Amino acid sequence: MSHYPGAGPTVYDPMTLPSDDNVNAYTFCVELKGSQWFLQKGKMIAYYGQMEFNGVGQGRLDRLVRTSFHSPLHASDWVVAEGSGKMLLADRAFDVNSYDLEDGNLTIRSGNLLAFQPSLALKQSIVPGFLTLIGTGKFVAASNGPVVFMEPPIRVDPQALVGWADCPSPCHHYDHGYMTGVMGGLRALTGLGGASGEEHQFEFVGAGTVLLQSTETLMAEQATGAVPPDAGVPGSGGTHTGPSQVAGAQRLPGQLGDLQRRFGL
Amino acid sequence: MFRLQGSKVLAVDMTGDAVKAKNGSMVAYDGQMAFKKMSGGGEGLRGMVTRRLTGEQMTMMEVKGHGTCWFADRASEINLVSLQGDKLYVESSNLLATDAGLRTGTSFTGMRGASQGNGLFTTTVEGHGQAAIMSDGPAVVLRVSSQYPLTVDPGAYVAHQGNLRQSFQSGVTFRTLMGEGGGEAFQIRFEGDGLVYVQPSERNTIAGDV
Repeated sequence: MSHYPGAGPTVYDPMTLPSDDNVNAYTFCVELKGSQWFLQKGKMIAYYGQMEFNGVGQGRLDRLVRTSFHSPLHASDWVVAEGSGKMLLADRAFDVNSYDLEDGNLTIRSGNLLAFQPSLALKQSIVPGFLTLIGTGKFVAASNGPVVFMEPPIRVDPQALVGWADCPSPCHHYDHGYMTGVMGGLRALTGLGGASGEEHQFEFVGAGTVLLQSTETLMAEQATGAVPPDAGVPGSGGTHTGPSQVAGAQRLPGQLGDLQRRFGL
Repeated sequence: MFRLQGSKVLAVDMTGDAVKAKNGSMVAYDGQMAFKKMSGGGEGLRGMVTRRLTGEQMTMMEVKGHGTCWFADRASEINLVSLQGDKLYVESSNLLATDAGLRTGTSFTGMRGASQGNGLFTTTVEGHGQAAIMSDGPAVVLRVSSQYPLTVDPGAYVAHQGNLRQSFQSGVTFRTLMGEGGGEAFQIRFEGDGLVYVQPSERNTIAGDV
């Protein structure tokens, strides 16, 4: 077939490239037929055909942005590819995979999402640093190492979490017994006695799927934009309506406190 | 004879013949091998001067002997390229090994090199034989023919071979200056007939953010 025998295992051309599927574990091919895809800036590595890449901030795409892009604050990190042809996507030689959502929702770490069809709506999650995709369509996500799917109830390491689908948000879980008490306080203060590094997890309950990557190396976080500084919006830095908490002074019951607090000063 | 052992180690079986390889890339060998540093990549005095002038530096060694020699460099993915009289264009930093019979040289790349942040010159490999090139993640080999021109992000470009014309496309517009660029402001367009190797990762280029 090829007149360059031995030039790598496979030589691709527009006919043999897959349509909306992986070329290899690290490269994904998107076929555009006059359609549009959203993609993160700079993730296109090559394309055949006629394509145009436009920042989503511009006027002509305003309607599209309004219907499927609900985070105007980080619109500048995304571009719309339109035209016809085949386009290859990749991200820093990380594993890429495509996922199909059918009238569902999926929340994903912002740095892991590479591209998605405009039939999906992208919204900021109320969990800082995460984005939520809602609707029906295909999206492409990167992960450091292959992704494993788990079912709740499960506790996961924060660094290994990629996202979760169709289940309620996670909550924090601490190994209380290990961190509290006099010994726990001493360990936390001095580092003596060892910290396993696994005292803190995310806990998922309910029905759904949790996506984990097989390393604990995080992908660079992509800014998701700031949230309006309203009261009651997590991560907004807005004024608390409840009893005020002293920022940065997180204490567990039974932990060794600082002296002022002990004496009620 | 070049073969891959896994995707990150190149094994070369030799029966008295020689290969040129990147200096220091040998990881193991069995049999009898002699390693000799090649000043200027074996391109002679003129080649040395050209490389010094163009900044496209490459330190190669010549490995000769009987047995098997294994090469690897920083766990980069290795891709085999076979040449039948055509020319391979590759960055010197991405070239791992070539048959001793292949000629290496330098060539002017123009704006592509500047946009990649790799300098204005690139390395050429010419002749009949095999070469091994490295990429960050396994390279995808894309064919360019007259009806299918290809456009590549400069940061993902690794190498190309065959009879290709490249032109540099810039999509810098008023919107780029407004901070609303398409993220793909610089592109290289390949036309003609040949193969292009792209890696699933982008180097940092000046085009990365516009």
